[in-house]
Amino acid sequence: MGFITDNLLSLILFSPLVGGLLVLLLPGENKNLVRRAALAVSLVPFILTLVAWFGFSAAPEVAGFRFQQEVAWYPAINSSFHLGVDGLSLSMVLLTTLLAPLAILASFSVEEKIKPYMALFLALETGMLGVFLSLDLLLFFVFWELGLVPMYFLIDQWGSKTGERELWGGMKVSARRYASFKFMVYTMAGSLGLLLAIQMLGVVSGTFDMLALFQSWPGLSGSLFGLPIETVKAIAFWAFTIAFAIKVPVWPFHTWLPDAHTEAPTAGSMILAGVLLKLGAYGFLRLVLPLYPAEATQYAPILAILATAAIIFGALSAFGQRDFKRLVAYSSVNHMGFVVLGIAAAAYAAGTESATIALDGAVLQMFNHGISASAMFFLVGVIYERTHTRDLEAWGGLFPLLPVFGGLLIFASMSSLGLPGLNGFVSEFLVVRGAWPIFTWLTALSMVGLFFTGAYILKGIAKTLHGPLNEKWQGHLTDISRREVLVLAPLVVLMLWLGLWPAWLLAVINQAMIGLFG
Amino acid sequence: MIPLSWYLYLAAGLFGLGLYGVLARKNAIAILMGVELMLNAVNINIVAFWRYLTPQNMSGQAFAVMVFAVAAAEVAVGLALVISIYRRRKTVDADEINLMKW
Amino acid sequence: MTTETLIWLVPLPPLLVFFLILLFTRRNNALSHTLGVGAAFLSWLIGMLVFLAAIGVEHLGEHPFTSSVGWLPTGAEVFPVGVLIDPLSAVTLFFVAWTVLMIFIYSIGYHNFGQPKGEHDVPGLPPHGATQHGHAVPSVEPMYARFFAFIALFAFGMYTLVISDNLLTLFVGWEIMGLCSYLLIGFWYAKPSARDAAIKAFITTRVGDVFMLLGIVALYAATGTLNFRQILYNPALLEQLASTPSVIAGLSVAGLIGLLLFIGTVGKSAQWPLHVWLPDAMEGPTPVSAMIHAATMVSAGVYMVLRMFPLLSAGWHHGGELTSTMTMMAFIGAFTALFAATIALTQKDIKRVLAYSTISQLGYMIAALGIGAYVAAAFHLVTHAFFKALLFLGSGSVIHGMEHGVLHTGEHVDAQDMFNMGGLKNKMPITFWTFVIGGFALSGFPLITAGFWSKDEILADAFGNGHLLVFLTLAVAALLTAFYTMRQITLTFLGEPRTKAAAHASESVPSMTAPLVVLAVFAIAAGWVGIPEHFPGLGGLLPSWFHEFVGGTLVEHPEAVAFNIIPLLVSLGVALGGLALGWLVYRKAGQLDPLRKPLGAIYALLENKYYFDEIYDAVFVRPAQRLAEGFSYLFIDRQVIDGFLHRVARGAFSLGSIFRNYFDAPVVNGFGDFTASVTQSFGRMLRKVQTGQVQQYLLFVALLAFGGLFYYLLNALQ
Repeated sequence: MGFITDNLLSLILFSPLVGGLLVLLLPGENKNLVRRAALAVSLVPFILTLVAWFGFSAAPEVAGFRFQQEVAWYPAINSSFHLGVDGLSLSMVLLTTLLAPLAILASFSVEEKIKPYMALFLALETGMLGVFLSLDLLLFFVFWELGLVPMYFLIDQWGSKTGERELWGGMKVSARRYASFKFMVYTMAGSLGLLLAIQMLGVVSGTFDMLALFQSWPGLSGSLFGLPIETVKAIAFWAFTIAFAIKVPVWPFHTWLPDAHTEAPTAGSMILAGVLLKLGAYGFLRLVLPLYPAEATQYAPILAILATAAIIFGALSAFGQRDFKRLVAYSSVNHMGFVVLGIAAAAYAAGTESATIALDGAVLQMFNHGISASAMFFLVGVIYERTHTRDLEAWGGLFPLLPVFGGLLIFASMSSLGLPGLNGFVSEFLVVRGAWPIFTWLTALSMVGLFFTGAYILKGIAKTLHGPLNEKWQGHLTDISRREVLVLAPLVVLMLWLGLWPAWLLAVINQAMIGLFG
Repeated sequence: MIPLSWYLYLAAGLFGLGLYGVLARKNAIAILMGVELMLNAVNINIVAFWRYLTPQNMSGQAFAVMVFAVAAAEVAVGLALVISIYRRRKTVDADEINLMKW
Repeated sequence: MTTETLIWLVPLPPLLVFFLILLFTRRNNALSHTLGVGAAFLSWLIGMLVFLAAIGVEHLGEHPFTSSVGWLPTGAEVFPVGVLIDPLSAVTLFFVAWTVLMIFIYSIGYHNFGQPKGEHDVPGLPPHGATQHGHAVPSVEPMYARFFAFIALFAFGMYTLVISDNLLTLFVGWEIMGLCSYLLIGFWYAKPSARDAAIKAFITTRVGDVFMLLGIVALYAATGTLNFRQILYNPALLEQLASTPSVIAGLSVAGLIGLLLFIGTVGKSAQWPLHVWLPDAMEGPTPVSAMIHAATMVSAGVYMVLRMFPLLSAGWHHGGELTSTMTMMAFIGAFTALFAATIALTQKDIKRVLAYSTISQLGYMIAALGIGAYVAAAFHLVTHAFFKALLFLGSGSVIHGMEHGVLHTGEHVDAQDMFNMGGLKNKMPITFWTFVIGGFALSGFPLITAGFWSKDEILADAFGNGHLLVFLTLAVAALLTAFYTMRQITLTFLGEPRTKAAAHASESVPSMTAPLVVLAVFAIAAGWVGIPEHFPGLGGLLPSWFHEFVGGTLVEHPEAVAFNIIPLLVSLGVALGGLALGWLVYRKAGQLDPLRKPLGAIYALLENKYYFDEIYDAVFVRPAQRLAEGFSYLFIDRQVIDGFLHRVARGAFSLGSIFRNYFDAPVVNGFGDFTASVTQSFGRMLRKVQTGQVQQYLLFVALLAFGGLFYYLLNALQ
């Protein structure tokens, strides 16, 4: 027991990877064994996270990082294997370890190459957890990159089989190859800057440890290759910003998202939308805002404008879609726009009460969006598996054939829409409240996006469930199965719980934001 | 006494004849005969040197006897090979047995 | 158990029942409606207990029942939410509880509980009737249980809104009702018209809602709280808000917030220009129309502005100049009242007339509030809820009767078209008399109907405070209201049946007619609690309880307007005149509307609702769709951004090709190949040595051996 509590974070971090390797050793013909083993493995970090959560939330106001672990790694450059959590990262870890088992349970319908699929998924989980848990910049980068590779393969090998994209000169590639490639290369392009920035930081300050860096950063002096410290800091700022902006994604760096989300397998989309996008926002909150308050304040208006653009254009593009999955993908752009708006507002007016509220809203929106986007992608996956199409025009009037599915779709859609009483509203309200005194006109403009959110959500429901029954599907569809309801149940419960009584999560986030940005 | 050099001339002459036979004859058996001649020439050389330089040791005689034995064995094997080749290729012309070429 | 705890309990039964029905009892109709009605009854009971407790308190406005709990940890404090029962919410709770309960009971009969299942009935479409013993009879609604679940959620939303002590939970209730109206208007979702009407309702009200959200946020940011008591009962704060300029030139912060909040009401209460959703909302089952358009949702809009009145009127003093928000309210309210009344004149569908009538009456309330007649607006809200609910439920009863006739005769006529009705007074007496009571109340029939008292008060206030334009507009609207109401009554109930179906109509079941009777009692009596003191003759007989009680909600008790005979006479004139005119014009009407020819093109304009739906479609809907798909997605994302990315990719591709073709292949690769070929040619040359001829090998050996030997010997000799 003592071993577990002493090494809690390492166990959380590595259990998926180790489990994944163990899954690889299982006999491949026994599909159910592989699936259940993977599910069991993914539950381990979740349970451990709950242990951490109860320990943490008993006293959320205690400042600083807890459950820290530090092991020497590269003493020569002062980089160590350093893990730790505060309210911000623990919330994200909770989200990740919650969604991973659900995504694996959702993947039970994958029939080919199950072992590599599960192993890659678990490796992906370790990558994502590592980003949230690490307190060392080099370690952060390692895990950041580690998360990319499994995702690439998941999309490329198990993504949607049909569809093509045309490039130039009449050259066509399969949609999933296009999407996985675009995702990987685009994100890596950003990561280049990240690596550069991290290295510069490490060399100039002599350490890669985040805690030490936070302390020593304001007083740093010296130069690098003849560049003065200010220039080094500025270059690092922009490098960080671009890397994280691509990941969130901030408009106009968002076009990889619809392709990746649409072509990925259902569980891949769930995790992509649920967790991977949050890595970027987390990066902003963990690294950019604390290290660069002045530059953040200076460039916050631009970020706020881009956030508003994401909210509006994300909603508009979602409304104009025929492909249901792509519609949900654009809704992610729309929702993450609110996160960025909150962050931008907080950066601009750091230290004020509105800033804290905006940050609360942004982080809560990260969590809430993870829940609702996951649910929506899964629901689209359910109907795709039955009808083998994602075209909204191909359905129509399916509610009597799929009553339980329909009910769950409406519920999840309402959460995505931000209906008060469900989780989405609380975070959006807090972001709007926080951003209004700071960026009044942009907040007002973002209401256009909020309006169109209603439009596209209702469009999705209307074309799928309502209207005259499309006779083509009569007798060919089965309602949602028990396993599928089991995937959705925790998400639905959380939507309602967080909508009616969000204090358990919001208190932790609030204290973390006060502690970080006071 | 006959000078040693006369024996050496004899051996050289025989050796030369044998070498010519080996290098210039077409028939494989003739080549083998040439090899025999060369071996005998060598033998004469050995015996001559023995008789004239160290007559008290046995080594010269012993060596000559060894050369006889080796020569006999070698001829036996050689002839066997030639017969085998003849059976296969119906020829004993050395020029025609050139499979191991470039 | 304290009253405060009871208040918290009011919205809970319907919420629980919503989940219970959807999760567990959806296949059992009897159990579901028992749970539904039981929940409505429980909420009604608790509501009445609270109401009785409330009216017993002296000066409730100064010490209302409140209770709150911390909800959202934000920053250093925790945002609290809670309950508040002051005079305004008490009377609202009263009428909501009664009307909701009546609607729940009515729904049992409306959805044909106990009837057999129709052979061709499918979930998603209205029931078509079943065959029993060779006769066509009405069939039970396939989605019966789901209906009760949804109206239960609706009730929860409204109760939450009414008992809230802050704008945030009010907004929560507001939006939940928006969701329920979407679900219920689109109850028969397989009908394209219903599906589209549901979306239209949601989207149109969402326009209002997003503005309202901004207003709420602005208020929160400006004052640090959303609690009604803390904001609205703090004259210093209101003064400050009214004098601070906002980001919009010419508007104070209070004005801006008021305007934003008011736009929410414009959407929710279907005022012009966001009125277009309400008539289409008639697609939903009639109890839904009653619920949405009388008892709950649209009333919520008016309730909210009543509640926020101190903020909207911040800076206004009785008799002085109206604030900008109030002016806007007066204008939009009065305009809508007249606008909707004109359209109602030409509608054929019995429910649509009532829909436009609702819009018009809401306009009355808003206009009243706009000119500062707080109590009058509240009064009209309460009386309107009763008689409008009565009228809607009555129309549902009529439609049911007509459908019975349709099934009986097999005639395929629209059971909702008034020009197919006639003579129903004999076939459906209870419905007839209650409908007449409701219709007269709506028209403002003097003295014995509630509508008279409330409407008269509004007119009196408008006239008495010098807002003559508003007075005139509302008076004309009242005339039209009485006219079209009598038109409706005459066409539906009087004269001879116009179709065979009408001739074979029958009265509805008791579960439908009993609520009508109950509501009719209120439609008559509810006005008597608010007889103004200065009224000739009757004033002073009964205490003007309503004014005293509800007026106490505000910090400063509003003064009753001095009595003036002119508005009273006008009110009497338009009511009686309109009713008489309506009867005269329509008593002999056949299948064709007698007004159609005389009004000509104007009739067509009114019948088509001034073409607003078409205008909105062309100006907003289609461009939005083009903007969404064509511009945002296909152009910006695909062409511009992805095009740029593809160009970068192509550039990288070309660069790679250049490196490959011009450097890698010739130079690096070429060098390797060259080395190899040189070695190869040497090899080709050298291998010729191997001839396979033994003698040649021996010759080489001999030469080398002798050559070496001679070389060595020669060197040794030197």
